Amino acid sequence: MSTTAPDLSENKPWTKRAVRYDEPAVIPRPKRTAGVQTYIPAWAKGTGITMKAFFVNFKERLLGQKRDPVLENYDGGLTTLEYPEEKRPYPERFRGLHRLTIRDDGSMRCVACLCCSTACPAQCIHIVPGEYPEGDARRGYEKYPTEFVIDELRCIFCGFCVEACPCDAIRMDTGMHPVPYDSREQFIYRRDLMMSFTDRDGERHSDNTRHEPGDPTHPGVTRKHDKH
Amino acid sequence: MTLADLLLTIVKIAIILGFILNFAGLSVWADRRQSALVQHRVGPNRAVVKVPSNPLRLVIAGAAVAIGAPFGFFFWNAAPGLEQARMTTGLEIAILVGWFWMLLLSNHVRKHGADNGFDELVSRVPPRNYFYGGLAAHLLVLPLVRALPPQVWATQWAPGICGTLAFVMIAGAGFYAASKLPDGKTELRLAGTLHAAADTVKAFMKEDLAPKRADLLLYSLAPIISMTTALVTVAVVPFGSSLCFKDTNLDGMLDLHELGGLANVIDASGACPANYNTVPFMIADIDMGLLFVFAIAGTGIIGAALAGWASDSKPALLGGLRATSQMVSYEVALGLAIVGMLMICGTVNLREIVEWQGQNTWGIFAQPLAFFLFFAAAVAETKRIPFDLPEGESELGAGYFIEYSGGKWLLFMVGEYAEFVFSSALIVTLFFGGYHLPFLHGDGLHIAFGDSVLYELKMSHLSVTIIHFLAFSTKTIGFVFFHLFIRWTLPRFRYDQLMKLGWTKLLPLTLVNIMVTGAVMLAIDAGGPQVSKAMDLVADITQGILALGGLLGTVAFVTYLLEPPKRQRIVVSTSAKLADAAGGVKPSRMQA
Repeated sequence: MSTTAPDLSENKPWTKRAVRYDEPAVIPRPKRTAGVQTYIPAWAKGTGITMKAFFVNFKERLLGQKRDPVLENYDGGLTTLEYPEEKRPYPERFRGLHRLTIRDDGSMRCVACLCCSTACPAQCIHIVPGEYPEGDARRGYEKYPTEFVIDELRCIFCGFCVEACPCDAIRMDTGMHPVPYDSREQFIYRRDLMMSFTDRDGERHSDNTRHEPGDPTHPGVTRKHDKH
Repeated sequence: MTLADLLLTIVKIAIILGFILNFAGLSVWADRRQSALVQHRVGPNRAVVKVPSNPLRLVIAGAAVAIGAPFGFFFWNAAPGLEQARMTTGLEIAILVGWFWMLLLSNHVRKHGADNGFDELVSRVPPRNYFYGGLAAHLLVLPLVRALPPQVWATQWAPGICGTLAFVMIAGAGFYAASKLPDGKTELRLAGTLHAAADTVKAFMKEDLAPKRADLLLYSLAPIISMTTALVTVAVVPFGSSLCFKDTNLDGMLDLHELGGLANVIDASGACPANYNTVPFMIADIDMGLLFVFAIAGTGIIGAALAGWASDSKPALLGGLRATSQMVSYEVALGLAIVGMLMICGTVNLREIVEWQGQNTWGIFAQPLAFFLFFAAAVAETKRIPFDLPEGESELGAGYFIEYSGGKWLLFMVGEYAEFVFSSALIVTLFFGGYHLPFLHGDGLHIAFGDSVLYELKMSHLSVTIIHFLAFSTKTIGFVFFHLFIRWTLPRFRYDQLMKLGWTKLLPLTLVNIMVTGAVMLAIDAGGPQVSKAMDLVADITQGILALGGLLGTVAFVTYLLEPPKRQRIVVSTSAKLADAAGGVKPSRMQA
């Protein structure tokens, strides 16, 4: 009946002592009193528990006193979130579908450095870099992705692409989950689609402002330095 | 049998079948949905019909007018001896509708906002105060009406005005409810009960599969047998007190033109006066009532056995065998458990058993042990938890109806629930006074202990009959729920435990019960008139306990329902913060 407590004094940090029992713990058989044998007290108690749970929830449903499934769900009771109609807001740091951020002039921030596709453990990002056309101020400084494709079926939503991006060009703050489609092709998200996404509040504003070459705030190397 | 008899029988069959089938279907749903509630889940409640609001408004207002109109119309007719009853009825109904409607309105306005000044005014009082006020008014009206001098209530207009008040309240509540419907379309959910209808339609549209080597005839026959037997047994259960129609041409038969001549008042025993035709509120008033029930219920075994045999499947066969042996075993205990009751009442006619209980005391007081034995055996007989071994999922899948699908499966399912509604009705009939309510006799309310009369109110035959029917339905529904609570609570027995319980516990106990009953009956008979008079007083006291208990229980239940909920709002996660900023989780329409 008795069990010895495991001796913790000899515990080594790298191994855990196996718990030894001198004899197996046996739950004693309940005494065969009249109450146990007739089954009625236990039955009455159980039915009471059932009825209590039922009437509490029945009352809530009947009188429309439904508790808020997100805010008031810590006291037990009926806390079902009736999903398609009711939704739990995703937490702030939820990593949802990717979006490509844009500059003030509406062009994309991405410079096609391939950091994200390199960092991607699922290898779901495909980028084809291209040069800006002749005469564009950015030509020679930056490239841009002529093609930017993410296979959302392969994506594991780890967020490494966001971490890897040096330009804050890719984010996962849309607050959207991938929508179920009926073909694989529909899960291939392309550049323009991802550029059209906003953050969960519907905004494109970023505190991380972009300093274009030629701006006085631009900290990097400009064309004027090429003679040095 | 005259044409009128035939017509009434058809009407009775329609009423009773409608009750049983609807309630069987509903309890299939209730079993799923409410058992989910027990586990703190919502359960199936999504079925919804979008009804255009305007026709619905018409239906609600029309129904209210139709329900209220008899009060406003017929209460102006002279009814000697019933003026007090009519005044009381009119006032009580007006009060009931009044507080209930204000309560709902207050609750609604508090949640959804006021539309006008009246809403605003009503919602200032918390909903439960309406209930307390209404309750006080209900109780006040009873002595008040009696205290009025006879020259007030004996005039024709006093009952008429009270009836009109009831009509105005009912119609007004209906019109106001209709005005509260949203414009355009109303989403009709009926508290989720539409799910039962949707499930029925779905089941009949599903493919009807049959095993390749099944015996098709028996395979198709089995669900029909088990469904029919469950429904046929209801024929001998009285759903209300007998109706009395005046025999104008004195031929001792009910003719069509006599259907309008419902008696105004009958005497306390519920028996019809001379020159009146008696129409019992049951489909077949036969003297072998209970024997018929057992005979037909015994046939139900064949349904399960056939289903098990004809399905050409091992789990089905084992399930069928289990069902058969279980039902045969428990039929013995079931039959013997009520012998004591039959000895006391001296009849097997269910109507007479109910009448005995109305004049003396409810069966549960006369035969408390028999009630428990009968109840346990009835649960086993209907193959329900904790005795649902024939369909033990862990070893047999669904047991004898494992191979059934679609409509045939539905027949089994509804048949099982119909059987179980019927067994509730039978228990109510045998042990809970059938359609009787304490102190309500054929001629009205008569509260008396022994010879001391406390309160008396004459009531018309029609209103007593309606109350009796409602009482029976309510008791049956209550018992169905009691069945369900047991089903949601208990785990399944082992098969040997089941057999042991039936043969070595229930059966000997029923025999002991019969012997004790016989001895007590002999002792009472030998005791002479004093003892029987004392027994009458005890019977009255049990009625008093029931009435008081029922009243207090109802009040406690409603008070509990109206208690404002306690809520603790905890905003910790960012998810909760976002939900809080949005003002809580609000349901929105489903989007693709």
